[in-house]
Amino acid sequence: MNKLYQIKHELWLDILYASFAIENSEIKDKLYDFSMIAFRHMKWLGGDILEAGDDYNYDRSKMLLKRECNFDIFKYLIEEIRAAQSHYEESTLTARITTDEIYLVEYLSALLSNSTNNEKITAFNMHRTLPNKNLDALQTDSLTIFLFEESYKEYELILVYAYMQARTDNLLHFNVFQDLIDESHFHLKSFGNMMAKMGILALPRELHELTYKITDIEKFIIDGIKEEENAKEQCKALADAVNDTELSQFFDFINYQENYHIALMEKLLPKK
Amino acid sequence: MDDIELPEGMNPEVIKHIMYPQNYGKLENPDGTGVAMDEKTNEFVIFTVKLAKDGIEDINYATNGCQDTVVIGSMFTEMVKGESVEYAKGAIAKIEAKLGVLSPQQKICADMVFNAFVASLINVSNLAQGEKEEMHVIKSEESCVIPEGENNE
Repeated sequence: MNKLYQIKHELWLDILYASFAIENSEIKDKLYDFSMIAFRHMKWLGGDILEAGDDYNYDRSKMLLKRECNFDIFKYLIEEIRAAQSHYEESTLTARITTDEIYLVEYLSALLSNSTNNEKITAFNMHRTLPNKNLDALQTDSLTIFLFEESYKEYELILVYAYMQARTDNLLHFNVFQDLIDESHFHLKSFGNMMAKMGILALPRELHELTYKITDIEKFIIDGIKEEENAKEQCKALADAVNDTELSQFFDFINYQENYHIALMEKLLPKK
Repeated sequence: MDDIELPEGMNPEVIKHIMYPQNYGKLENPDGTGVAMDEKTNEFVIFTVKLAKDGIEDINYATNGCQDTVVIGSMFTEMVKGESVEYAKGAIAKIEAKLGVLSPQQKICADMVFNAFVASLINVSNLAQGEKEEMHVIKSEESCVIPEGENNE
């Protein structure tokens, strides 16, 4: 299997989870944008690998390490980007990837030159509270479990749909997969940032190939629609349980988005 | 986290198993691979094991299931790694004792974990007898479905 793909997959997660962990909104937003660029690198690389008759998988070998301060994250990202670059062979794609990454390293280096950017990281300390919210133990537990379940699920959906998108010749399917991937990116971002605020930021589990090597797409979609319906129920139950207007509105908003996911997924089913 | 006051509710050990599941993934060149599969929900637990003369040399698991399955799989593999197979067969009961009374849903998750482990041992045995079996699959009889009106704590 393609080792470079695994390295790029891990680098995407490194940048994405760095953006979740950091509190400063300007740095957070910038890193999130870079993570989305890194995801596109991964997508393009996957396309090139398939075109060359090779294959890739979603294996990973790295854990998300707890970091104490922003500078630890910036230094780690620079090291990881440089390590990834040592694996690139010359091509139009790697030239593009390299210039993107050089710009990111320059940005991170500039941040490192100003000590006011070195804030403490609280994303891993398990305090399980939200600013200006007064949730009781049961509500906190419900929210904790929901965020772990759903952040994994969104990560899973992004990768499963990307895997299928890379292997379809059907334009309608390609576009539907892209919409679903975009939607899941937004949900993962929302949940990841909330997990960081609660001190429970953790990488989603690695996907086993049984999850994404789909042999019966119709069954996969029908089961996926059931899962979306279940996710809607979870959102609704959580919105009712948290007893906080702002949080309830947020989970209702996510719940209503799932309705359209179901409509999108139905477009993937064969016309009867 | 020493200066952080943890809230009441979920056991911090459980949260750690969710955030950092132990022995998660797959082993290269395992002696046995076993799957517990719930065909109704498509949820699975997969175990890969390496055995030594005196017991379980290494063990990994993966699942697309719920957080209860993740926690029980993490605790189970942590408990049985380096131990005898006989010890491993009683480990689920020890986890139950540790977690307290399991809900019906958690019991199904624990069964999925244990069945996947048993399936990996069956795969070891089948391969030793010359069968060509990529993995041994045990189909689950009950589904881990959250009853209406309950959350999945």
